[in-house]
Amino acid sequence: MWVQEIAHQTEHAAPEAAGEGFNAGKTIIEHISNPKDHPILHLPTIMGIDFSVTKHVFMLWFVATIVFVVVTWSVRRYLRQERLVPSGFMNGLEAVVEFIRDQIAAPNVGRKWVNTWTPLILTFFLFILCANAIGLIPIFDVLGLLDHWVLHTGDHSVVKRIIHGGTTATANFNVTAALATITFGAIIVAGSMAHGFFKHWKNLVPHGMAWPIYILLIPIEIMGMFVRPFALTMRLAANMTGGHIAILAILSFVFLFTEMFHRALAGIGVGLIVSVPLAVGISALEILVVLIQAYVFTLLSAVFIGMAIHVHH
Amino acid sequence: MTGLVQFFAIPFGLGMIVIGAGLGIGRLAAAAADGIARQPNAADRITGAVNLPLFLLEGVAILAEVFALLVLFLGR
Repeated sequence: MWVQEIAHQTEHAAPEAAGEGFNAGKTIIEHISNPKDHPILHLPTIMGIDFSVTKHVFMLWFVATIVFVVVTWSVRRYLRQERLVPSGFMNGLEAVVEFIRDQIAAPNVGRKWVNTWTPLILTFFLFILCANAIGLIPIFDVLGLLDHWVLHTGDHSVVKRIIHGGTTATANFNVTAALATITFGAIIVAGSMAHGFFKHWKNLVPHGMAWPIYILLIPIEIMGMFVRPFALTMRLAANMTGGHIAILAILSFVFLFTEMFHRALAGIGVGLIVSVPLAVGISALEILVVLIQAYVFTLLSAVFIGMAIHVHH
Repeated sequence: MTGLVQFFAIPFGLGMIVIGAGLGIGRLAAAAADGIARQPNAADRITGAVNLPLFLLEGVAILAEVFALLVLFLGR
C-alpha cells in the first residue's frame, strides 16, 4: 500500500510539468498501482475501510478461485481412481507437493512436525506461484487494446474500469503483508505447540547469561520478531513490482523517442532495436523470478517456523 | 534541497545498495562455485546451504531500496 499509494497520490498532486506530453513515470505508476479511484465494483466505506473491489482484489479472488478449483478438482478425480496412479496434471502437482514436503518443509521443521506445517507451506507456494505467474500475463493490457481498437465501450463501462492498473496481486504490499502476517502467526503457533505458550516466549532469548546482556538482547529479539515478516512482505512485493517497472520503463523508450524527435519512425526504430529485445529478456528473467520468489517465501516461512520449533541457544 | 535529494542522494544510495548486494552475492556465488568444483558430489548440499543466506542478503538489499524510494516519495 504505502509506496504505491504515496506514489500514486504524489503523481496526481504534482503539477503537470510536462504538459500534455507523454509522462513515463505517471504511466508506469498508474500501471502498477492499485487504482482506488477506478474500482471495478464500488462498495461503501465501513468503519474507515474502503470495501470497493479494485483490480488487485479482483485478481486475488481470481487466483484463489483458480488454485482452489484446479487443485481440488484434480485431487478429487485422482482419489476416485481404481488404482492410485497419478496421471497428467496430477503428476505435476504431486511432484510439487513432494518437493515442498521433502525439500522445504522436512529439513526445516523436522520429521515430527512435517504433516502439521506442510499444508500451510504448500498453500503459500501454490498461491504465490499462481498469483505471480498470472500477473505476468498482460490480460488487462490486451483487453485495453481490444477496447481501444475493436470494442469501443463507453467511458463508464466495466471494461474501462477494469483496464486501470496492474494485474499482479502479489505486487501489492497489502497482499504480501497479509501473507507475512499468517507466517508471523504461524511462528508463534509453532513455538507454542512445540514448547508450550510461555516457554515459546522464553525461548526467544538464550538462557543463562549475565543480566545486563538481556537489556540489550530482549529489545533486539522483539524487533527481530517483527522484522522477519516485514522483510518477507517487502521482498515479494518489491520483486514483483520491480520487474513490471523495468519492462514498462524500457517499453516507454518508444514513446519518449517519438516525442523527442517528433517522428514515429524514431520511436519504432528504438523499439525494434532496443526496447523489444530487452523487454523480452527481462520477461524471461521475470519467469525465473516468479518461481524463485514463490520458493523464497515458502522456504523462509519454513525456516522461521523451524527456528521457533528447534531452538538452538 | 529536494532536487539534491531526488537527483543525487537517492540514486547514490541506490548505487551503494547495488554495490553492496552485488559484492555479497558475488562472494557467495564464487565460494559456492569453488566448493562445487572441489567436491562435485556435494553440489546439492552446497546449493542448499548457499540459498538461505543469499535470500536473506537479497531481502536486506530490497529493504534498503524500498526505504530509499520511500524517502524519495515522502520527500517530495
